[in-house]
Amino acid sequence: MRLEHYLYISIILFSLGVFAVLTRRNAISILMGVELILNSCNLNFVAFSSFITRDITGQMIALFGIVLAAAEAAVFLSIILSIYNEFSSINPDQTDTLKG
Amino acid sequence: MSVASLIFTILLCPLVASTLFGFSALLGKRLPRQDLISTAAILVALVCSLLLFGQILGNPALKQPGGIVDSMVIDWIAISDLEFKMGFLFDSVTGVMLIVVTLVSSLVHIFSMGYMHGDPYYPRFFAFLSLFSFSMLFLIVSDNLLGIYIGWELVGVCSYLLIGFWFEKESAADACKKAFLTTRVGDVGMFVGMMMLFAKFKTLVLYGEEGIFEAVSHLGSEDILWLSVAGCLIFCGAIGKSAQFPLHTWLPDAMEGPTPVSALIHAATMVAAGVYLTARMFPILTPGSSLFIAYIGGITAIFAATIAIVRWDIKRVLAYSTVSQLGYMMLAIGSGSYVAGLFHLTTHAFFKALLFLGSGSVIHALHVHHDDHSEHSIERDGIPPEQDMRNMGGLRRKLPITFWTMLIATLSISGVPFIFSGFWSKDAVLGSALGKAMSGGSIHYYLLFAIALIAAMITAFYMFRLIFLTFFGEPKNQEMYEHAHESPMSMAIPLIILAILSFPIVNKWSFEDLIMQPDQPHIHASTQQASALYAEAGASDHDTHIAGDHQGDIHHTAHNIAMVCSIIVATLGILLSWLLYARQPMTEDPVEKALGPFHTILWNKYYVDEFYNGVIVKRITLGLSNIFGWIDFRIVDGIVNVVAFINREIIAGIVGLFDMIVIDGIVVTVVGKGIRAIGVQIRRIQTGTVQNYLAVVLSGIIILVLLFLSLPRWIP
Repeated sequence: MRLEHYLYISIILFSLGVFAVLTRRNAISILMGVELILNSCNLNFVAFSSFITRDITGQMIALFGIVLAAAEAAVFLSIILSIYNEFSSINPDQTDTLKG
Repeated sequence: MSVASLIFTILLCPLVASTLFGFSALLGKRLPRQDLISTAAILVALVCSLLLFGQILGNPALKQPGGIVDSMVIDWIAISDLEFKMGFLFDSVTGVMLIVVTLVSSLVHIFSMGYMHGDPYYPRFFAFLSLFSFSMLFLIVSDNLLGIYIGWELVGVCSYLLIGFWFEKESAADACKKAFLTTRVGDVGMFVGMMMLFAKFKTLVLYGEEGIFEAVSHLGSEDILWLSVAGCLIFCGAIGKSAQFPLHTWLPDAMEGPTPVSALIHAATMVAAGVYLTARMFPILTPGSSLFIAYIGGITAIFAATIAIVRWDIKRVLAYSTVSQLGYMMLAIGSGSYVAGLFHLTTHAFFKALLFLGSGSVIHALHVHHDDHSEHSIERDGIPPEQDMRNMGGLRRKLPITFWTMLIATLSISGVPFIFSGFWSKDAVLGSALGKAMSGGSIHYYLLFAIALIAAMITAFYMFRLIFLTFFGEPKNQEMYEHAHESPMSMAIPLIILAILSFPIVNKWSFEDLIMQPDQPHIHASTQQASALYAEAGASDHDTHIAGDHQGDIHHTAHNIAMVCSIIVATLGILLSWLLYARQPMTEDPVEKALGPFHTILWNKYYVDEFYNGVIVKRITLGLSNIFGWIDFRIVDGIVNVVAFINREIIAGIVGLFDMIVIDGIVVTVVGKGIRAIGVQIRRIQTGTVQNYLAVVLSGIIILVLLFLSLPRWIP
């Protein structure tokens, strides 16, 4: 396996994540898309550290990324709960109070 | 230390001492012992002045008029091609003046610690003294007329503050206003004179390559009249400040201030600033302006001396005596003797400060507190009882130090020969007037010499009258006499130091060696003998030498004649005084009997004040005020009213219409509605949906990435 293969996987994951974030009508699904994007980045870090720099810096950053994703999920879910309390829905199309 | 840093120290010390008081007052806290701070500051300045004087003795270049123009020159104001520079001028005249001012000021500070003790405004008094010292020193070291003018006005303000120091007293409040306004009359003339010089030479710096004096020496004879007028106008400032006739009336009234102030400001230093200015402007004097100065000086000398004969207030006698002596100094400068004028200034500063401090000591001794007032100490003729010589007598037994020191000063001012400094300086003045007359000057100088001689006799007379009335005879007011006591040491020591300085320590020969007279390029220009002198000078060196010797001989003879005459008149004056005042008992004023109606004129000071009040203030000033008031009310206000009417009725209507139609109708509608329409369109992109925003952000990123990839390689 070469570096390119990892990067292809990463691109696919990233694109799927972006697609989910932009198109899903459910906030939980958007969160899942965000997780995909984060993980594609982690994959990149690990791949580059293994093939190019040949030390553990990238892997360390990937670990930080995973922890960050967990924290982010917690914040995101609590925001979703608040949104549900306010709008009785978690469809992002219906939370358009800021519409000009 | 260099000259500039010493001068800086001299200026800064008193300034800091006075500003400290100002800041502490702003903060609402009094510094402890403002008196010690101020006294220490002026003593440091005194030490620095002595160091500077040492430099003069070691450096002959500094004895030249103009001395060195130190490198401490800064551009102060520069407006296009107008430049005002500020710098220090340091020569032997500056050095002598610095010592006179700092020395007298130091002694007055020390004296005031005793004299002003217990005054409710005690700290403020010292802060004012410091501010005054700074202003006076600034005036002395400035190398340009603008700096001198700034210092000049500052000392005027300090004089105002200190005369009105006891401002609860109505007479003091009136006196300080009078002093300020009267001197201002002269200052207007001085300012016009400065502007004349500035208009012609584009500078106010005195010495140096680009200075006024260099430029003046290149003026042709057609400018002599112009130069005379400028010189006389600048001298007007000195008339005001040095209390010369006809603006002398403020100085006697200034005696309402505390006595140490009278000694420092109104005897030794500030009033001498006028003499200093005239001496500084010496090189621009022409025959016309010299004669004007000499006449003003001569008239003032005799005018004030005669008034002094009939005064009963001890301080007023000294005040008129000061006016008279300042007239002598002006006479010397007008007679072309720079050195004699400054010499008399120096000796006078010491003995007159001593006389004032001595009178302060007497007043301090006799001062009866107001709660134990009795019928013996009522005011007569508006004179406070402790200043009235009719209440004194026999005080030499009670106040020995005051008596002996004041006697020395009196002998000095009266011109008692040889062992007192006043004799030498007065002789120098008299000799200069006679020398000028004898060496081919105008015939007027004979008259001026005679006037000065009579004034010298009157001076000896009234000064001994003061001594006899105060210290000799029997006490005229037993209660005050019992109460009298010698002053504390802080007051006695300055008296003793000044008494030592009244002996010829500063003598004529050292002074002539120290100070060199500057050239007066136009002094002969318009007189008949000018061509003769120039021809003589051009003939040959040998002839010139003989001519110079001849001039020297004449001056020598003149001084000898003047010396003999002055000894005779001084003796006459003292004898007359002894005959009239020293014999017992004195029932009524012998002078009053002898002079008859003339006494009334003298008692009313030649009615100058009445003239000013009755004619100038009431008639001219009030008349002009009425006329200007009428113009103001009818014409100026009328124009204003018409313009206002036009504005209100016509222009306001047009503007209102314009406002309604153009602004409201077009501008507001078009601009407002247009922007609203644009807003309606633009608000659509603000959907409020997070995913739309994200999509826009993402497309932005993609566009940026594509741009970067397609850009040429010069982007790093």
